[in-house]
Formats: sequence, structure tokens, C-alpha cells
Amino acid sequence: MLEVKGLVAGYGGGEVLHGIDLAVDEGEGVVVLGPNGHGKTTLLRAITGLLPPRAGHVLLDGKEITRWRADAIAAAGLVHIPQGDLLFPEMTVTENLLMGAYHRPTWSERRARLGRVYELFPWLEERGGQLSRTLSGGERRMLALGRGLMSKARLLLIDEPSLGLAPLTTQQIYASIQKVKDGGMSLLIADENANHVAGLADRVYLLETGSLVREGPAGELLRDKALLESYLG
Amino acid sequence: MSTQLVQAVWGGILFGSVYGLMALGLTLVWGAVRLLNLAHGAIFVVGSYIAYFVVSRLNLPILVALPIGVLGAAAFAYLMHLIFIRPVIGKPGFDNSTLIATVGISIAVSAAAILIFNPEYKVIPPVIGGNFTVSNVQITKQGLLVIASSLALFGLVYLFLTYTRLGMAIRAVSQQQEAASLMSIPVVRTYGMVIAISGALAGLAGVLLSPFFFLNPNSGFNPMIQALIVTIFGGLGSVRGALVAGFVLGIFESFVEVYYGVAWAQPGVFLLIILMLILRPNGLFGIGEVRRL
Repeated sequence: MLEVKGLVAGYGGGEVLHGIDLAVDEGEGVVVLGPNGHGKTTLLRAITGLLPPRAGHVLLDGKEITRWRADAIAAAGLVHIPQGDLLFPEMTVTENLLMGAYHRPTWSERRARLGRVYELFPWLEERGGQLSRTLSGGERRMLALGRGLMSKARLLLIDEPSLGLAPLTTQQIYASIQKVKDGGMSLLIADENANHVAGLADRVYLLETGSLVREGPAGELLRDKALLESYLG
Repeated sequence: MSTQLVQAVWGGILFGSVYGLMALGLTLVWGAVRLLNLAHGAIFVVGSYIAYFVVSRLNLPILVALPIGVLGAAAFAYLMHLIFIRPVIGKPGFDNSTLIATVGISIAVSAAAILIFNPEYKVIPPVIGGNFTVSNVQITKQGLLVIASSLALFGLVYLFLTYTRLGMAIRAVSQQQEAASLMSIPVVRTYGMVIAISGALAGLAGVLLSPFFFLNPNSGFNPMIQALIVTIFGGLGSVRGALVAGFVLGIFESFVEVYYGVAWAQPGVFLLIILMLILRPNGLFGIGEVRRL
């Protein structure tokens, strides 16, 4: 479904990604593992149009979307749940969720979509009137995930789902992502902890200093402790 | 009731709603686009001259000229966005280049108005004529219309921003632009929409006020300066702030004028602003850098 070919991206004078080749199939859970600062966030930003790539191609169902604007890419179904959540701070929980359904066809289905998100995170319904800036870190992450699910996503790109969360909340977040995947959603997750993503991953890429150095089925790669240790420390 | 008191209250509410109406457009654009639109007064003038043209040259009634003037002002504002604002969005130097561009547009508009219509004062007829007196104070029906329109527009803008899909998108863009684009909200198109709405508000203010102050190529300047003061007083980017500050300043100015003389009105307002900014540097409903719309 998603194909990335020779993607080069960076900021200012620096090049962060040096030609990335990657693919995600329908319904597949793909994880990009790599230590901090090696380009995971840059990779997701370059795919979803927040950072225009310098070279290479991004294809969705074989169609070139490389230089599309971020909002057009989101409307096409590549939905990016960014690092730091980026909620709308002065909007309520419900309003944040509704903005996830901004795209026309989803706006008319927003009630049904809300229902599905509330099934995953029931507290979102009870506290719908609360301003999102008053939420705790774990609540913010769940709201960001819920907001992403309000859209007509075909592929969710999630940037470090557990960043800055307590162990218990981390478990909760991955359990909810697992449910989303079981519902048939394709996933591209950037993470630095192999243990967290073991259940979600069908295939794993290892990212090091801006290049993908290994690729393989999750069962194989994630069992190779020596290999993971040498890359992730 | 004494004539003076009625005079002060009436003048204050009238000034207040005018200031609020102009400030509403400024504060919307600042909140969403982070653009200090110094062409707001020019847009006011464009709307007024279009209405004047429709009334005096095409001999159509003011009720036809009013919507044409409002739409013309919105179109002019949108054109300004396309030519001068959109190309520099997200580029370094956005603040400086848009400040200079909007000042330039103001100068160009007043020069164009002189060339096309000559510098003489023009009269636009009121939408509703007639007046009545309360305690010897003349209350014009047009004045009541201005007050009602201003309050109604504040209500409409509030409902629009709170409950509609597009209004919510404007708030989303103003609070977290990157996330807005990830929610498939077209950010730049939303900017254009806000600027056009703000232009319509300025145009409406222009057409409704010209029967009071007459119309000349620079008649948008004073309302814009007052609106800037109101916007700063109420807190840049705050809709509620623009409403409250508009009335606070309008009534304050009117009372000073009636009881201490016209000469004290402007200095009094500035003194109040200075005090206010010492006490609350972000304005009444100060939203600072973090909070917006």
C-alpha cells in the first residue's frame, strides 16, 4: 500500500535520511526501530508531507504523493500521530476528536466514529468537555491516538507511542494500538524499544544514522537479542 | 436622567460597538494568521467607496449597496491575501514583509480613492433614516442599527467559531498549525477564509459608519487605530476581549468627552491603555503566546 523509494530528507544544511526504501502492505504492522536521533521522526515527517523530501518517492497504492501538501496526504488516508501529540490546547477533548474527522466524508460519519473511539477509551466520553491542555501525559497520548482514529485512516503512522509515559500507561497504549491493528488497520510505528512493539510488528526495519540497515520478519529480528543490542544499546 | 449622562452612555455604546466591530476583524486575523493587518482601515474604505459608487453612480438603494460593499471588501481582502500574504507564509521575514505590504496597500488605496473619486467628502445615506430624542439627546436609528449589527456579528462569529466545522478548523489552525494540517485541514486556504471574513467585517463597518463620519480617502485610518487600541486592550487574538474592550474603551472615551471635554478623550484613552498594560501586559483576556482564539 505504502512504498517509499530512495527517500532523502533533512533540515537546513544537514541531511538526516540518506535514501530510505520501505514498504507497508495492507493490514500489515511495520515497525522502524532505531535509537534516538537517528531519523525516525524525520522519516515519518517526510512521508506525511510535514517536511518536503529532497529526493526519492513516496507512493500510495502506486500513486506518487511525494510533494503533496500534508493536508492532502492526510485526506488520502496516511494519518500521522506526531511526537508530542500536538493536541489543540484550547479545545475540549470532544472538539479535538471532532477535528480528527475534519475531512468531508468522515465529518458526516463523525458520530459513528466517536462511538468506536469511546469503545477504546471510555474516559474520553465522560470528560469530553475538559480542555485538552489540562490532561495528563498519558491522557494526551490516548486523545492523540483517538483523534487520529477519527479520520478515514488507511495507514496510521505513530511516532514513539510510549515517549515520556509511565510503564503502566505505556502498556495501556500498546494494548489499544493492538486492538486497532486487530481491527484491520495498517500501521507504521517508529519506536526505540523492541519489547514494546513485539506484538504489533509483522515486519521490522532497523534505522541507524539515517539509513535502514536491516529488514526482516518481526519474529526473526526481534528474537535476535545480540543484533538488537548492538543497534539499540 | 440628565442630558449629559444620556449623551455619555449613548455615545459610549455607539463608539463601543463600532470599535468592537473593527477590532473583531483585526483580532480574528491576528489570532489565526498571526498577521497584524494594517490594511484593515483600507479595506473599510474600499467597502465604503464601493457602496458609495453603487448608490450615487448606479442610483441603487443603500440596501443593495450595503451587501455589495461588504462582499467587495471581502474580495479585496482575499485578493490582498493571494498577492501579498500567501507567498510569504512560513517564510522567514513574514512579520516584516506583511507589515510593509499592508501599510503599502493602505497608501495605495487612499491614493486610488483620490484619483477615482477626488478627495472631497462623500455622503452615504443611512440604511434607516430618522431619529428620536431621549432627554434632549438625539438617538439616530442608524446608530441603533450599528449597535445591533455589531452585537449580532459578535454572536455570529462566536457561534461560527464554536460550533461549525470551518469555524473549529480556524481555531485548530490558530492553536496548533502542524496538527491541523495532519487532520487534513488546508491551513493556507483557512488563512484566506479568515482574511476574507475579516474584510467583510471591515467593509460592513465602513458602509454603516460613513453616514456619521462622512467618507474620504483616509476615513478608515482612525477607526483602525481605535480598533488596534481595542485589540491590544482586550488581548490580541481574543474575540471576547475585542467585545469587552470595545465597550470599555468606548464608554470611557464618551464619558471623558462629555464630562471633561473632547480634548481629554484621546489622552484619557491612552492613559487607560498604559495603566492597563502595566497591570496586564497581555491585555484584558490576555492570551499571550500560548492561548489563541
